[in-house]
Amino acid sequence: MHIPDGYLGPQTYLPAWGVMAPLWSWASARLKRTLSVRRLPMMALAAAFTFVVMMFNVPLPGGTSGHAVGSVLVAVLLGPWAAVVAVSLALAVQALLFGDGGITALGANCLTMAVVMPFAGWWTYRLLAGSSPAGSRRRWVAAAAGGYVGVNAAALVTGVLLGIQPLIARDPSGRPLYCPFGLGVAVPAMAVSHLLVIGFVEAAVTALALAYLARTEPGLALADQTAEGPSSRGLRRLGLSVAALALLSPLSLVLVARFGGGTAWGEWSAGELSRLTGYLPSGFQRLSSLWRAPLPDYGPPGAEGVSVVAQGVWYVVSAALGVAAIGAAVLVLRRLFTRKERDGHAA
Amino acid sequence: MSGSQGETVFAVEAVRFAYAGQPLCLDGVSFDVRRGERLALVGANGSGKSTLLHLLNGLFFPGEGRIAYLGSPLTEAVLDAAPFGPRFRQEVGFLFQNSDAQLFCPTVEDELAFGPLQMGWTQAEVFRRIEDTLALLEISRLRGRFPAGLSAGEKKRVALASLLVLAPSVLLLDEPTAGLDPRSQSLLLEILEALHTRGLTLVTATHDLTLLPHLADRVLVLSEEHRLVADGEPEPVLADTEMLLAVNLIHAHSHRHGRLVHTHPHQHVVAHEHVHGHHHEHEDQAEPKK
Amino acid sequence: MATLPEWLRPGARPVSLLPQRATAHRLLRRTLGAMGRSISLLVREPDGPGVGALRTADPRAKLLAAVGLIVATTFLRGLLPLAACLALALALSAAAKVPGRRLLPVMIAVPLASTALLLPATLNIVSGGPPLLVLWRSAGGAFGPWRLPEVVAVTADGLLVAGRMVLRTTACAALALLLAATTRPQRLLGGLRSLGVPQAFVMVLAMAERYLAVLLRSAQELHLARLARSVAPIGVRREEAWAAAGVGAVFRRTRSLADAVTLAMVSRGFTGEVRLLRPACWRRTDWLLVAAAAAVAAGLLILDRRLA
Repeated sequence: MHIPDGYLGPQTYLPAWGVMAPLWSWASARLKRTLSVRRLPMMALAAAFTFVVMMFNVPLPGGTSGHAVGSVLVAVLLGPWAAVVAVSLALAVQALLFGDGGITALGANCLTMAVVMPFAGWWTYRLLAGSSPAGSRRRWVAAAAGGYVGVNAAALVTGVLLGIQPLIARDPSGRPLYCPFGLGVAVPAMAVSHLLVIGFVEAAVTALALAYLARTEPGLALADQTAEGPSSRGLRRLGLSVAALALLSPLSLVLVARFGGGTAWGEWSAGELSRLTGYLPSGFQRLSSLWRAPLPDYGPPGAEGVSVVAQGVWYVVSAALGVAAIGAAVLVLRRLFTRKERDGHAA
Repeated sequence: MSGSQGETVFAVEAVRFAYAGQPLCLDGVSFDVRRGERLALVGANGSGKSTLLHLLNGLFFPGEGRIAYLGSPLTEAVLDAAPFGPRFRQEVGFLFQNSDAQLFCPTVEDELAFGPLQMGWTQAEVFRRIEDTLALLEISRLRGRFPAGLSAGEKKRVALASLLVLAPSVLLLDEPTAGLDPRSQSLLLEILEALHTRGLTLVTATHDLTLLPHLADRVLVLSEEHRLVADGEPEPVLADTEMLLAVNLIHAHSHRHGRLVHTHPHQHVVAHEHVHGHHHEHEDQAEPKK
Repeated sequence: MATLPEWLRPGARPVSLLPQRATAHRLLRRTLGAMGRSISLLVREPDGPGVGALRTADPRAKLLAAVGLIVATTFLRGLLPLAACLALALALSAAAKVPGRRLLPVMIAVPLASTALLLPATLNIVSGGPPLLVLWRSAGGAFGPWRLPEVVAVTADGLLVAGRMVLRTTACAALALLLAATTRPQRLLGGLRSLGVPQAFVMVLAMAERYLAVLLRSAQELHLARLARSVAPIGVRREEAWAAAGVGAVFRRTRSLADAVTLAMVSRGFTGEVRLLRPACWRRTDWLLVAAAAAVAAGLLILDRRLA
């Protein structure tokens, strides 16, 4: 799921850094508030732990092998905000210190694996686990579902990031500059492999590692049983914002398609921006001439305009279906488990 | 060194301690540590000697009883406040058993700089101290090295250097020779001997009885019931086989001399109990639970 | 000691063994190899003097130069400027004496992987354009909701798109590797320290890297113990269970180390505020390196614009 350098254009990786910057500072502020500053080593060790988890290879059917990302496991053990910091650090160590690449794409990779994945996984896990005790079967299944949903959500976002490349960055002749595969290829390619195979590896490792820890360390306190996990109100707010994001992200694509008929996303000329916002800051005029030097006016896709809209619509539909499917699955599982538990109490 | 010879450095009074949710780990322990003394805490695994060092260093606080440093009680509030907190941290150094946990900085130089920088010293002063300390322990060549790449003996010396750079007057040593090869072990003992002759107070926790004559002028023995059962000079304490048998520091051992089989108390002395080498973690210590 | 059971005495008959199969070991050996390489990278010691001028430059300068060049590379569109960038990275690697065993795997794996991934992009169905080499022709028609293409062909546009991607990913990988191979991780962190990255962040990153070596060693021990005892493949289900138990064991160590490190820091006066050593001043060669990188980046971008 690691996106290497060169697959994403600056129009994508720069905004990704822009999204991550406030998230990182927010995460560290939250951690400072919820756990003593003296617990700085826990963050560092958690990052090293995440790195090591990514090195445990598991054979996959068909002779290949894969590894878990571990973001959801870290979220379950230490809380989602701790996971944001730990997984980001692990990715930074990989990119910078080991020279594995992905330096420009670090922001985007952190967005998928250090934000989307732990939060999607955590949210699912919390909904399913309820207040069941640490070693219970229900928590175990909740962790598996969290791992599965988390890694698939991250794969979906990765697919979208790759898939919008041909829509937003083309050379004057209309040829894609970065990842050439559109949403119709990138999203299914990512989704199918993760839905069918990799998701189960993540689910198994998350759940079994949790089960192992619960068995070997009876006093184990999980993130939602300590102050580090968000309260139920925070959880509801989080759920609402995730839902809002899920609804808004296709909207942004529709916007792209709408205005993309004239110019590709991120390349509004000063004139168009002033038309959009009604005014033009004087500094922007100077800045825009600088900006345009390395970022040439990519020609509009021309005849592709129709396909932009078509792909946008396709994405809206698939994203809505995906969100609905995951939501339904979570609700059904939750209903099943609460009933089982009630039966268990009655028996 | 600060302080006059013979003054009471630590006063431990009827201390009882347990990690959260775990059985008692120190049960009514009382003793004094005097300036310039070389004191050894001995006891079997799990007798609480390591925990006692943590308490003396103000890392945990006793549930009952009290510990005073130079007359001031050690409590969380006192340690968090200046000037006592920083002064205590500068004057009392703790050599942890696990060097990997103690060496947390990227390079040896950063490691030595950590303590002085926390004290707020100037960068120039910090650099001067680092240079002198490295020279003193003859490890100047390690300055730019990465702690993870050092041998067990080198790690121990760097850890000691990171304490000495602060010019402490008391050193708490937790199993300082565990896991070291004989050469590193005698080198470390030499350094400790030299530090003691310069007036440092040394408190060592160990279960290696062969080291006692080199490490201590006074020995405290902790029983497996977490109580103090002996306090005296090394020779009489080591001669008390009945007491040592009772606290499980030695065991009765039968073996054969020719055709004669006889049973006698045996000092089961294992200098290198942790044979798995420098990178192996010792998890026998109880973890503090918050 | 109690008497030995009969099967532990010398000369006892061994129990028959399952036939040894190499497949059980391949994955373990590969993982172990990767872990060993990571550890040796982490504990790599300083190089002797005079091994390549790039090694002695200030890490901050190298970081700025490398990141600047990588960012510039992502803006390039022409095959020629991209190839020039790749050639530059390789030339610098040779000048800095980056060992072949580090350079070659990356320089083979990255282009191969991107080529494989981008092969479909050379076709008209992805990239469009007039056909250059027709691979397949059909009468068209439909397959369920999908319309089958009438012609599948390699196009010039497709080749350009794929070639551009392969060159760009390879050049970026070569530059990233050049930075990592000529700068010890510890010095790179020192570089971050003075580039406006918060000290607490640098400290955590440094500590993550410090304990990565320790945790990797314990994971390595787990794998070695497994390798020493494994005879035949145990199946995906049990492999997963084993990996999860390993992950759990590593987490326990993670937590006990975190507790111990916290105590060690507090014991040396840490109260929550991170203070680090000030790194050395910039020398003229460091400025020169950054200026040269900026000039090269600008030159490549201008060349790229001219050619377009």
